[in-house]
Amino acid sequence: MAKKKVTNVNLVQRPIKKWAPLFILPTFAAFCIGFVWPFLQGIYLSFCNFNTPKDAKWTGIVNYTKVFSDAGFMNAFKNTAAFAIVSIILINVVAFFIAYALTQKLRGSNLFRTVFFMPNLIGGVVLGYIWSMIFDGILKQYGTYLTANGTYGFWGLVILVAWQQIGYMMIIYIAGLQAVPEDMLEAARIDGANSKETLFKVIIPNVMPAITTCTFLTLTNSFKMFDQNLALTGGLPSVIENGAKVNVTELLALNIYSTYNINKNWHGVAQAKAVVFFILVAVLAIAQQAATRSKEVQQ
Amino acid sequence: MKKAKKFSTASTILTCFFVVLCLVWLFPVFEVVINSFKENAFVNLEPFALPTAESFVGLANYIKGLTFGNYPFVLAAGYSLLITVVSVLLILVFCAMSAWYIARVNSTVSKIFYYLCLFSMIVPFQMVMFTLTFTADKLNLNTPWTIPIVYLGFGAGLAIFMFLGFIKGLPLEIEEAAAIDGCGPVRTFFLVVLPMLKPTLISVGILELMWVWNDYLLPYLVLDRTKFMTIPILVQYLKGSYGTVDLGATMAVIMMSIIPIIIVYIFCQKHIIKGVAAGAVKG
Amino acid sequence: MKKLFALLLTLAMVLSLAACGAKEEAPADKGENAPAAEETGSVYYLNFKPEFDEALQGLAKTYTEKTGVEVKVVTAASGTYSDTLTAEMAKDEAPTIFNIGNMSGLKDWDEYALDLKDTALAGELNTDGFNLYNEAGELKAMGHCFESFGIIVNVDLLNAAGYELSDITNFETLKACADDIHARAGELGFDAFTSAGLDGSSSWRFSGHLVNMPLFYEFRDDGVVEQPATVTGAYLDNFRNIWDLYITDSSADAKTLSTSTGDESKAMLTEGKAVFYQNGSWEYASLTEAGLTNLAMIPIYCGVEGEEKAGLCSGTENCWAVNSQVSEADQKASLDFLYWLVTDAEAAQVVVDQLGAIPFKSAPESANGFLADGNELASAGNYTVTWAFNHTPNVDSFRATLVTALTAYSADPTDANWDAVVSAYVDGWAIEYATVNG
Repeated sequence: MAKKKVTNVNLVQRPIKKWAPLFILPTFAAFCIGFVWPFLQGIYLSFCNFNTPKDAKWTGIVNYTKVFSDAGFMNAFKNTAAFAIVSIILINVVAFFIAYALTQKLRGSNLFRTVFFMPNLIGGVVLGYIWSMIFDGILKQYGTYLTANGTYGFWGLVILVAWQQIGYMMIIYIAGLQAVPEDMLEAARIDGANSKETLFKVIIPNVMPAITTCTFLTLTNSFKMFDQNLALTGGLPSVIENGAKVNVTELLALNIYSTYNINKNWHGVAQAKAVVFFILVAVLAIAQQAATRSKEVQQ
Repeated sequence: MKKAKKFSTASTILTCFFVVLCLVWLFPVFEVVINSFKENAFVNLEPFALPTAESFVGLANYIKGLTFGNYPFVLAAGYSLLITVVSVLLILVFCAMSAWYIARVNSTVSKIFYYLCLFSMIVPFQMVMFTLTFTADKLNLNTPWTIPIVYLGFGAGLAIFMFLGFIKGLPLEIEEAAAIDGCGPVRTFFLVVLPMLKPTLISVGILELMWVWNDYLLPYLVLDRTKFMTIPILVQYLKGSYGTVDLGATMAVIMMSIIPIIIVYIFCQKHIIKGVAAGAVKG
Repeated sequence: MKKLFALLLTLAMVLSLAACGAKEEAPADKGENAPAAEETGSVYYLNFKPEFDEALQGLAKTYTEKTGVEVKVVTAASGTYSDTLTAEMAKDEAPTIFNIGNMSGLKDWDEYALDLKDTALAGELNTDGFNLYNEAGELKAMGHCFESFGIIVNVDLLNAAGYELSDITNFETLKACADDIHARAGELGFDAFTSAGLDGSSSWRFSGHLVNMPLFYEFRDDGVVEQPATVTGAYLDNFRNIWDLYITDSSADAKTLSTSTGDESKAMLTEGKAVFYQNGSWEYASLTEAGLTNLAMIPIYCGVEGEEKAGLCSGTENCWAVNSQVSEADQKASLDFLYWLVTDAEAAQVVVDQLGAIPFKSAPESANGFLADGNELASAGNYTVTWAFNHTPNVDSFRATLVTALTAYSADPTDANWDAVVSAYVDGWAIEYATVNG
């Protein structure tokens, strides 16, 4: 954090300190209400059987053993992982190339940019609803429907999310591409590098920070995906496999939510799933940051 | 000014390709538009057909959509707007203040708060959603007037982090000069620091705006939904009812919820796109 | 690296805080249920039936004007009652009157429900048949209206096709008639059955109601009176009989039933495009308003022996429970309000108009034609098909699996796909039972 030591920092620091109640108390209080307390209570309740916090009874790790023996949760985990991998690759590759093309002095590129970004303004529930209508309309021509099997639902969600997020990532890539120093491009041109070489040897290394950001965002977005999943298929189809019930297209966040709604005996299990989910997301986020950070340092 | 650098055939082909791609991109919205003018029965039957003399119902769906589902659309839109505006304002003002405090005061409190903020950014909403509901209910944060406090709390992490990144780059000398001139911290912040924060304010504001306006699950769980709905909740509610699903009216509701955002987007797209680009912080 | 370390440190701190918080938390909220200051109490009615909302709001207003007791009526959106109830019950201002749909609902809410046995309200009942009792034999939820479902027939169209209602007495005759109408659909201008839509707005007619037929008959044979852990599926072939009839003798495309809505199905009846429409007595008012004057409801026939003597499927999912966790004043106010609803002449008339028949002594007769059909069958000595599906464990989830299987089967009616329906019914029941009770 501290880059350089500022000598007379006290001149500014001391008076502010007196005003701490005004400057940090409101946010800190809201932060405790909206985050810290629910978080702590969540960890506690994941070890309880509860309907409301009032009647919570400590049950130890029972909830956690149920989490890991739950076929629905495992299926949701597999779905989420597969969905994350596919959408990270698809979104980033397409977004990067659109961004690349749009920065090549193309006629109408501002208009294109506007259009591609537009889906981000529409909420996930509304998007899910619109796309389920479109997919069902298309599949109807072939005598089938969106929730006929898990494959349609999975790729439907991938298409929806790609359509939504490509524009967003494209914006970040465009910013990254515009920051590539002109003289480096000039130098490459003088050295007689073709456009492919320029792309891979000059441009991509220089937009590494943007790539880091975008993969991070697509990774966490895919793991936290809820609204779109709920509105597009709601986890359907719902089948029985090997003696266990599975909602084929359900992702983790939706699985947690629907577990909570089974009945009050499952509240604790849902909360335990949420804790597992949190640890998973946290580990992935930290690992991804650490990995790309070390790569950036090398360059 | 670069003179017409004669566009090559390759770039013309590329332009054509992008025109087509844009049309594909706009198709879902177009789909909503055409279906919002069709009679309910035809929406499901021929979702891709343009309205015909038989299926066209004019503005009937829109009129119906205003009171559809026993919940006035205007009310839901009003609550959505109220929650979004108040939440974003709260986040901007209070998080900027906190970030400045954290940046300028080198204390344990600052550090703890900072790391808690970082930490909160990697916690998914699912982790706190059930318990947040209990807390919010206990503290009466379940109305559109009070739910912004929940948003301030849950959105603080990212906002403070982004403000901090910018404030750390601000020259301290200006604030020192203000202090020497007898400016107290409050005046210094509002008259000196806040104006300098403008680009970040826009950036954070836009990100939070897009989040709060479109958020479904948090208000669904926290709000007393026997009384209050927001637009996303209303849409989800319209989708699932026994017996009657009026697709035409639902499309009209969706249209009415999209149009204001599109208008705002068209007028502020420069800021929005800049805001998103600048907001893509490196974690 | 330093940042990462600090982050982990923060995490550790947070976790240790959590452990402390945990200990403090349990006793924290104990002093909550302080007696309410006001003596009169107030009513918060969490209503289960969306179609009853408007009338109930009006009744609540009238009651408040008459007695000064505040009555708040809130109606949950369709399909969200159990979510809403869970959320509302966790609140300080919890509902004082709520709905328990069936025995498994009673299991969830038993400790929140007051024993209604010795109340004045219970004294007004003219039958005990729809009440829910817990294991201790306490009357925890009071069935306050009953409904019937079956096959609604547009008698005018049936006659136009050359049949009389009395021609249909069992599955064979129903099938013969429906097959014939379907075969002549082009010439007649209408078909036999409305679409058997499996969209969320329509699928409950089958995954919930039609499935009552195999459940009822197997429970009858096996003497099941409480929620069983497993079901046998002994009558699933009959279920298949009737389902096949629904999807073949209809103009709707069986391949895409998944997106076919309840409205579409109903429209086929009201527009005179189909003769038969499976639904319940709650549809009577809207169908007559749509201009259908000559309607009848017949039992669902599916080829079970002796079904000539079957009646309509009658029962209820509407049982009043009074929250035992609210103040006594609120409990009393709630009981008084319910008593008024069923005894006051005007109020009871409104309730009957909205809910159909209600099992209370002083309540007026219902004008519902479908319920009249049911009574006629019953008084002719036919057996009532009770709502066996009220025993369904984890009902939404059970139905979702069944709908998935039914949709796939309808698109491609092979034996292999029917096996999935059987599995959704038999295995699904066992799994859901274990989920809810495990």
